[in-house]
Amino acid sequence: MKRMVATKYRDTGRPSKARTLLEVWFANMSAYRAEIVIWMLTGSIPLIMLAVWIGKAQAAGGAVGDFTPQRFAAYFLAAWVSQQLVVAWVAWELDLQIRQGILSAKLLRPLDPLWEHLAMHVTERLVRVPLAIIVIVVGLFIVPGTQLTPDLPHALLYLLSINLAFLIRFLIAYCVGILAFWFEQAIAVEELYYSIAMFLTGSFAPLDLYPVWARTIIEWLPFPYVIYYPVQILTGEANGLEIVRIIAVQLAWITIFGVLRSLLWRRGLRRYGAVGA
Amino acid sequence: MKHLPAHTIQVAGLQKHYVVHEKEPGLAGSLRAFFHRKTKLVQAVAGVTFTIDPGEMVGFLGPNGAGKTTTLKMLAGLLHPSGGSVDVAGFTPKERRAAFLKLITLVMGQKQQLLWDLPALDSFRVNQAIYEIPDDEYQATMREFNTILELEGILKKQVRKLSLGERMKCELAAALLHRPKVLFLDEPTIGLDVNMQVRIREFVAEYNRRFQASVILTSHYMADVTALCKRIIVIDKGQIVFDGDLGELTERAGARKVISVELARLVTLERLASYGQVQSVEGLRARLEVPRQTTSSTAARLLAELPIADVTIEDPPIEEVIGQMFGGHRPATADMVRAQEPQEVGS
Repeated sequence: MKRMVATKYRDTGRPSKARTLLEVWFANMSAYRAEIVIWMLTGSIPLIMLAVWIGKAQAAGGAVGDFTPQRFAAYFLAAWVSQQLVVAWVAWELDLQIRQGILSAKLLRPLDPLWEHLAMHVTERLVRVPLAIIVIVVGLFIVPGTQLTPDLPHALLYLLSINLAFLIRFLIAYCVGILAFWFEQAIAVEELYYSIAMFLTGSFAPLDLYPVWARTIIEWLPFPYVIYYPVQILTGEANGLEIVRIIAVQLAWITIFGVLRSLLWRRGLRRYGAVGA
Repeated sequence: MKHLPAHTIQVAGLQKHYVVHEKEPGLAGSLRAFFHRKTKLVQAVAGVTFTIDPGEMVGFLGPNGAGKTTTLKMLAGLLHPSGGSVDVAGFTPKERRAAFLKLITLVMGQKQQLLWDLPALDSFRVNQAIYEIPDDEYQATMREFNTILELEGILKKQVRKLSLGERMKCELAAALLHRPKVLFLDEPTIGLDVNMQVRIREFVAEYNRRFQASVILTSHYMADVTALCKRIIVIDKGQIVFDGDLGELTERAGARKVISVELARLVTLERLASYGQVQSVEGLRARLEVPRQTTSSTAARLLAELPIADVTIEDPPIEEVIGQMFGGHRPATADMVRAQEPQEVGS
């Protein structure tokens, strides 16, 4: 049978999808600014660890290994900011949408729901910026002599790297959320990720202080590329070719999880279509 | 004309079954289910066949769990059929191609697609972008929807602050913004007051007229269906039990009306029964079933001859109509009342 086509209209310009999604979601996220501040404070492990490690450094006569209080301060402030910038709750969002059937309404639209989730996350980040700046200024003031970043190129490369880090984290969370197509308790995996990531991303301590065997294993996982390595770039610990390597590995992880997410999504939709939407 | 218009929707032998897990209640049941999961095959749709033409409006009727929603979801591409074939506007729905999704819409009760914390207008903008609707078409559509649905003044309010009816109007507008050619409306008026039901109905009729859209509508309210659809498909237990003219259906089954009366004081049941078939009695309230043709004369006689405080006339509930039509069984209450006569109505 002949296919129908939508009525053709003279094209008088149409809004860009990306811009509209970002504008509207920014408005939506702004409605949640108070909640977002509270969520930011719950993600404060690096700040607590900063106090712990400085205490330890002082007790040990000024430094732990090569780490002075100033170096700790730079590391954990950068880690805290990074953690703020890579937050992803899309697993919860998907879990809810899949289990309660809200996904159906989204599937009726000719757009992969991924893009809306992405817009949601990106705009939420912007709402976090003002408080993040305040925390950094206060932090730098409390530990005098702390240098967060050596120069502008490092800061700019950090911006690139932390956005890639966010994509890694976002895609991991997306894959976990998709598991809700099969398991009622998919979100437990997300909880597990959260507790593991705490240790493996470098939020608790710089990976330099980990035992060599642990460090060797961690290097082969995506986790250090979410917090630790972007922090290395910002604080000027990583330079030149090392920065290129970090970004290349980040791109590789994005590709891996991007492909995995597409595969899971396609299979998940088949299951959704089979057992009920 | 070179050729007759093709069918918009073509469904043949469509089936959907689910495997459901059964579990006995309680801890023991849970433990048993943990080791031996009992499964049961449920036939939600057991082979339905029909076609729908461009611009045609069809009402889907049937009791809860008859398979109406499952069928609509298969037509919209959300559920994959277990058997049979579906063709909607030349597409296979389950492939969910963008060109297909732009031609259809599915409105499911109050399943919200509007963003809760923002004005509806923002959700409309998102849909405009997602459906790639050119600006002038968007403006034109919004102007039309504004007039028919009277959206003025509610578009800029936060969706969470809208009343149920206002929200439903916005949901419908959002779902039709891309001017789909095929509408699947699943209980679009559920929970709305009568005025709002009428408004929504008028909107759907107007949309159908203007855009020559095909519409499949399911509803619990007989009035929705009678106002909009010439053709009715009745589904029961996953199968089509009636497909034809609305007039024929009402003749076959809906030839009766229900008069509900509230009495000012007690009256014998015998006396009440002389006006029609007494269906239920509850305190001073009673429900009488009467032939459609004599409804108004009976109501007039009731008012003149009995101490009536209030009277309303309505269609029998749709489930009852279908139950009577295909099962021939009457509601239990009527039998109970009849078995107890004679007695006095009231407490």
